[in-house]
Amino acid sequence: MLLQLHNIFKWVNSGGQRIFLLKDINFEVREGEFISIMGPSGSGKSTLLNVIGMLDGFDEGEYQFLDEPVHSIKEKHRANLYKEYIGFVFQSYHLLDELTVKENLEMPLLYKKYKGAERKAMVADMLDRFNIVGKKDLFPAQLSGGQQQLVGIARALISNPKLILADEPTGNLNSKQGEEIMQLFKQLNDEGVTIIQVTHSEKNAAYGSRIINLLDGRMI
Amino acid sequence: MFKNYIKIAWRNIKKDKLFTGIKIGGFAMGIAACLLIALFIKNELGYDTHYKNKDRIYRVVMQGMMDGEQLKSVHFQLPFAETLASTFPEIQKAGKINTSELFGAGRRALRPEGTTQNNFEEGFVYADQSVFDLLEWELEQGNPENLLVNPGSVVMTASKAAKYFPDGNAVGKTVFLDDNSTRPYTITGIIKEDLSEKSHMDFDFLLAIEDTNMSWSNNNYFTYVLLDDNVDVASLEKKMGSILENFVIPAYRERMRGEKFMEVLKTLEYKLQPIGDIHLKSDLKMGDGLNHGDIRFVWLFAAIAGFVLLLAVINFINLSTAKSANRAKEVGLKKTVGAFRGDLVSQFLTESILFSIISFVIGVLLAWGLLPTFNSIAAKNIGMPWETWWFLPIIGIAALIIGIIAGLYPAFYLSAFKPVNVLKGSLSTGSKSGKLRSGLVVFQFTTSVVLIIGTLIIYKQMNFILDKKLGFNKEQVLVIKGTNLLRNNTESFKERLLGLSNVKTATISDYLPIEGTKRNGNTFGLLRDGRQEISVPAQIWRVDYDYIQTLGLQLKNGRSFSKEFASDSSAIVINSSMAKELGFDDPIGKRINNGEDWTIIGVLEDFHYKNLKEEIAPVSLVIGNSPSMVSVKLNKGETTRAIHAIEAIWQDYVPQQAFEYTFLDQEFAQMHDDVQRMGKIFNSFALFAILVACLGLFALSAFLVEQRKKEISIRMVLGAPFKSIYQLLTFDFVKLILISILIATPIGWYLMNRWLEDFAYRINISWWVFVLSGLLALAVAFLTVSYQAIKAGLVNPAKSLRAE
Repeated sequence: MLLQLHNIFKWVNSGGQRIFLLKDINFEVREGEFISIMGPSGSGKSTLLNVIGMLDGFDEGEYQFLDEPVHSIKEKHRANLYKEYIGFVFQSYHLLDELTVKENLEMPLLYKKYKGAERKAMVADMLDRFNIVGKKDLFPAQLSGGQQQLVGIARALISNPKLILADEPTGNLNSKQGEEIMQLFKQLNDEGVTIIQVTHSEKNAAYGSRIINLLDGRMI
Repeated sequence: MFKNYIKIAWRNIKKDKLFTGIKIGGFAMGIAACLLIALFIKNELGYDTHYKNKDRIYRVVMQGMMDGEQLKSVHFQLPFAETLASTFPEIQKAGKINTSELFGAGRRALRPEGTTQNNFEEGFVYADQSVFDLLEWELEQGNPENLLVNPGSVVMTASKAAKYFPDGNAVGKTVFLDDNSTRPYTITGIIKEDLSEKSHMDFDFLLAIEDTNMSWSNNNYFTYVLLDDNVDVASLEKKMGSILENFVIPAYRERMRGEKFMEVLKTLEYKLQPIGDIHLKSDLKMGDGLNHGDIRFVWLFAAIAGFVLLLAVINFINLSTAKSANRAKEVGLKKTVGAFRGDLVSQFLTESILFSIISFVIGVLLAWGLLPTFNSIAAKNIGMPWETWWFLPIIGIAALIIGIIAGLYPAFYLSAFKPVNVLKGSLSTGSKSGKLRSGLVVFQFTTSVVLIIGTLIIYKQMNFILDKKLGFNKEQVLVIKGTNLLRNNTESFKERLLGLSNVKTATISDYLPIEGTKRNGNTFGLLRDGRQEISVPAQIWRVDYDYIQTLGLQLKNGRSFSKEFASDSSAIVINSSMAKELGFDDPIGKRINNGEDWTIIGVLEDFHYKNLKEEIAPVSLVIGNSPSMVSVKLNKGETTRAIHAIEAIWQDYVPQQAFEYTFLDQEFAQMHDDVQRMGKIFNSFALFAILVACLGLFALSAFLVEQRKKEISIRMVLGAPFKSIYQLLTFDFVKLILISILIATPIGWYLMNRWLEDFAYRINISWWVFVLSGLLALAVAFLTVSYQAIKAGLVNPAKSLRAE
């Protein structure tokens, strides 16, 4: 079991009223799954993804990640947990503009204190695997959207996470680029990486093994 | 990792050239200003600190009270020094120096034996051997035991020796002064360094004392003493009072100088001034006629340096946090991929240290480049202390420390961003820090406005002094120097000058109403029933019949000297303040006495003859011979021709002598050099500070506009006219500037009042100074902000909305 969510509630107080962002969310994710979270705008998809990624907290409920009780452990411990096991892919890529492709890939490794030679090998490996060796010295602004997202995914994968969280990874791409990215996710999933993606598109959701539908913070 | 920090910092610098340019440029300017001021202060504090026994050397000061006002003097009698040394065992040595022009100190014409050309040199003084014994100047040549022991000895500085004896062998050579070959002087020693560089004494030539007047009522000598170790200075000062009782008071009593004067004598006491205090902490009242610094200016400049640096650091902090939105994504992302807060703090600190180091390098180079200009403004000869071991380490450490201080707040502020907020795009770009930023802007502009007020008032006071009604006419007066070289022909030289068509009048007198010319203080009394009733200290100047007319002095009562009255040889013309001091309503015809009897024939309107920091004191004029300067009043517009004509006449008399002249108005301006100089230094640094503050405002407004880009676009899409966008953006700043002006006005008023108190003659601070300062600050702010606001108002809204 990779993770378990039990009765997760998240709310904000606004004008004396409690507005629920997430309401009684329960599900489990096993290693090797490819899950798509769907729902209309404002249904809480991204919030759920951030909760799973431990970037955001919740107000009630229990969350077990690799048998660690996320709801009760210390902030620092939690940070260590997601830093080690989770890779993030964003709709708007979030590459650092002032770093080259190679340096963007290297950055997570710097913080995980890998040695220089190791970092080099891992970056080279990743560039090779994603077929972007020729682009390694370019800056993000010099790449197309699809290529940037490719780098974003490569960066998420470089420290070998158990789980990839992707928030509308194809939202800023045209259909052809989007399809390529989804193919890549499929392939990664086949290689054993667990993936949870948020998407609007039925077609993209179909790549996954399971679909979770949200409406107004509830699973339906 | 470190390499990575540097890399990101470097790319950030390159990416945003304007912003980093302002950040680094402002910082560098602040550092340059600070460094220059620090060097200046170090130079000022370094005077008289190089003597071996500097902690035991003192200058004697006498002080007393007269009419409720403090008197101070550093001039003592010829026997004073020896008496001190022989009476008090704790005084090891006592030496004396005479700088009075009356005795031949000051300006002399010098000619080595075997040459014909006389050269004028300033900086002659009389001194005794003990001065050398106690100050222990380093000698290049000569026997330190036997420098000024024998009459006719002269010691000079190495730079002067090199001028006259380029072969390097000066000791033992003979020189003549004022072309008098019957009175040879033998060079006995060469002092290694120029005295004026490091000490309060700006002398180049020291002559053995020739004065033999052992009277205890003639005060002409600075007296320096060297004490034993661990002497209680206060009790020694008290004990020294016995000299007053045993010698000074009896001497005066003998000469009978009125009741009031005896009262003054009772209040007299001796003080010992540490030699290190002389340059910066001497009172104008002491009247030592030396070029002094002023400890208050040292403090003032130190404060300015601090403020400029503070402004620069504030800019740095402001701009760093302002740009936080741009770094937020980086922070958020790095945190999601594994960075801890500590990593980010050290990254931002590294960055700010890097900025600091770059700024220091530029700042130090800038200061280096500006140093010659600064030296010429400050009349200093300061060099960059590259070769001293501490300079570069101190700069390095300062760069590190200031880098850390400036980076601390931004580092903690930026590294605290929560990744989820950043990545969701809901990061509020510093509404909380907006207040802090506003506060810092207000601080910067308050400082700037205070400095603008200071600059305006200093400028006004300076003009006031230079344009003040002086009581004499300094325009078109040519002063010919060294006319004593004409020997007995001075009078006929003057007559020939009067024959020139461009010359109005001319006068022979060494006493002129500018500093550095001859002075002769004396005490006048009034005889009534054979008893001296009052005593008034006053100047007595020897002039000729045309003096009053040539200098344009105004007669209030009575008449000027005239050759028609044979009795005018005992006639005296006094100024108004002397008439007041003497207590005369109608002084004409009254007789006064200073050992000789004089009859008052005229009263002059007061005229300034000292630095305008001091009040006008009593002066009297009598007919007499003082032939080393001739002042010539020229017709307007014919100056150059007149000078040529005068020089031709000069050549007729003394073809081997250089013709030397100045203009009275230039000399007058020079007399206020110190005030002007300080004003100029102050203004330059104020300018620096204002510039730094403006740079900060410029960048900050650029940031605020950028931050509100979306808001502006939406407003424009909804039909807001350009004008309203402009108002929207400028209003916030105008508000801050107005607050700054409100705070700055009373501060500026208070500070400048304190500064002006120093002047006996000063301007009133008028309200328009504050209005003008405020308007200037507003104008500058408007200019900087408007540029950004207009840019924002002209942009195509669709563009910035799409980018969102």
